[in-house]
Amino acid sequence: MNQHLETKRRFFDKEKIKEKILPYIMVAPAMAFLLVFTFYPMVNLVYLSFFDYNLINPNKKFVGWRNYSDLFFLRKDFVVALKNTAVYTGAVVFFVILLALLLALWIRKDGKLNHFVQSCAFTPHLVAMLSCAMIWAWIMDANRYGLFNTVLSFFNLPPLRWLNSSTTAMLSVVIVSVWKSIGYYCLIIVSALKAIPAEIYEAAELDNTPKLRLFFRIILPLLSPQLFFLLVTITINSFRVFDTVRIMTEGGPGNATDVISFYIYRYAFRHFRIGYASAAGTILMLILMVLTAIYFKVLSKRIHYQ
Amino acid sequence: MAQIEFINVCKFFGETRVIENLNLTIKDGSFTVLLGPSGCGKTTLLRMIAGIGPATSGRILLDGRDITHTPPGKRGVAMVFQNYAIYPTMTVRGNIEFGLKNNKVPKAERDRLIREVSEVVGLTAFLDRKPSTLSGGQRQRVALARAMVKNPKVFLMDEPLSNLDAKLRAAMRVELIELHRKLQTTFVYVTHDQVEAMAMADTIILMNDGEIQQEGSPEEIYRDPNNIFTAQFIGTPPMNIFTLSERAGVQIGFRPEKVDLAHEDQGGFFRRKGRIATREMLGSETLYKIDFPDGISIMVKSLEEGFGVGEEVYVSVDREELCFFDRSGQRIREGLDELLALAGGSN
Repeated sequence: MNQHLETKRRFFDKEKIKEKILPYIMVAPAMAFLLVFTFYPMVNLVYLSFFDYNLINPNKKFVGWRNYSDLFFLRKDFVVALKNTAVYTGAVVFFVILLALLLALWIRKDGKLNHFVQSCAFTPHLVAMLSCAMIWAWIMDANRYGLFNTVLSFFNLPPLRWLNSSTTAMLSVVIVSVWKSIGYYCLIIVSALKAIPAEIYEAAELDNTPKLRLFFRIILPLLSPQLFFLLVTITINSFRVFDTVRIMTEGGPGNATDVISFYIYRYAFRHFRIGYASAAGTILMLILMVLTAIYFKVLSKRIHYQ
Repeated sequence: MAQIEFINVCKFFGETRVIENLNLTIKDGSFTVLLGPSGCGKTTLLRMIAGIGPATSGRILLDGRDITHTPPGKRGVAMVFQNYAIYPTMTVRGNIEFGLKNNKVPKAERDRLIREVSEVVGLTAFLDRKPSTLSGGQRQRVALARAMVKNPKVFLMDEPLSNLDAKLRAAMRVELIELHRKLQTTFVYVTHDQVEAMAMADTIILMNDGEIQQEGSPEEIYRDPNNIFTAQFIGTPPMNIFTLSERAGVQIGFRPEKVDLAHEDQGGFFRRKGRIATREMLGSETLYKIDFPDGISIMVKSLEEGFGVGEEVYVSVDREELCFFDRSGQRIREGLDELLALAGGSN
């Protein structure tokens, strides 16, 4: 009898161990991927930022904080890139959320026209960034073949230099980014709007609610989880903008559209200054971390999760 | 004073006719229940009063004033929705206060009203809570308070108790009856539950397929049905109805609870011998299914529980409890002597 119990207990011990270990085995592949492709590069990035290291000379030289002090105090272009990135992000976040919201409010009702408009708005999301940039480079061409300038000249207005002028280049890049992403984010807001039960609107109607008040007091708070999600993702994506700038302006003219990602790319793969570029990458990472933390701290209290 | 009148009202959803040429008056201060199976148009009618589902044609009058094109917020009506439709992002206080703020009621007045109303519905302790932290019954009360605080001329309720459990529903039923007595306002209440309708209404409007089948007090509707639909919609189990005479196209009906059962033939007006097919003991009463030799079966609800399955029993019904219906299902109210003779002789 005792022996029987003993074997039984041992059996259960085995079960217990299995139960404890099994979950780790299950997540191990995912964790391995994360370790190799996310955590290791992240740590390595920070590590490399303390070295003077280029791809031609394999010898790394420890330089301490010098890369960082160079970034902020010796060279002026990083601060410019940082400022450009902030302007770009601010503009994209503001216009994408505002326009996506307005578009969503317009097309939220089912209907042929609305479905058509929604498809149109979503199409740019399906087109490769490269093609988009090509299309827009033509539309914004500074000579008279460009679409915008053709239209302007039709109205006898002087042509604009769009991507070729330091005053309008950033605006042009922002326009392309907004145009490309608006359909996708609009879709998210439309689905959130459709999830609001019709009775809420009817109750508001019976409560004699003015239109504007209905929007600000009822609809907007109900959309807040989605809008918050949009705010965080658009901010992160915009801070890391690369392809649009790389294809359309190469950071120019001058450094009018130089943004952090492009800056890092330039120093790492054109000047081969890996250590210096790593320092810039670390700064980008820190900024995004802080920004996201602030968003969650400040805004999450004002979000109504159902 | 808040009397509601429908004049030649029609409602189409696309091509589908929901209501056609309906005329109806809902009396001031009444507790009127719109009753009927789902899809009968009762909610459509309620939404017309509220103004959130306008009529395709016809007019709606409130106190003799045409409100057909008045926006919902200006009609002086309040509505309690089936799923409450509370604003989820506002506190209980915010929910109750919202309509008052829209109507520019001063702050001090608002506070007083909220205090009074939350006292009545028992929400005082929950005023600063979010709806998501409340139980179903409490949410129901928020919806009710939101309606009450506007001091409307008409309360509209769209199956407000259907999301509550049976016990709470019974309790809320009593509370609504008391509320109506206290406020003396017109209540229009939609339900498909005949028990709820019988319990609460002073007037029941029974609808089917967009048409009013019968309008009257619960007693009238129960005792004196105008047609087979009413006779079988009201009462559990429904009225027993079967063909009395194929040739004349007459059907006879009587309520299961008006049947006397006995082991021996005791006389009585409508008499038949049958066999008990099933027996359901429900507590205070017992439900029997009785088969007659000619293939007809009836349900009998009896206080006597002493009959067993398979036993032969004698069934009898008093002559006052018999109803007759014609081929189209309408009640026959004239020439009853002949029919009674037919029924009395049929045993």
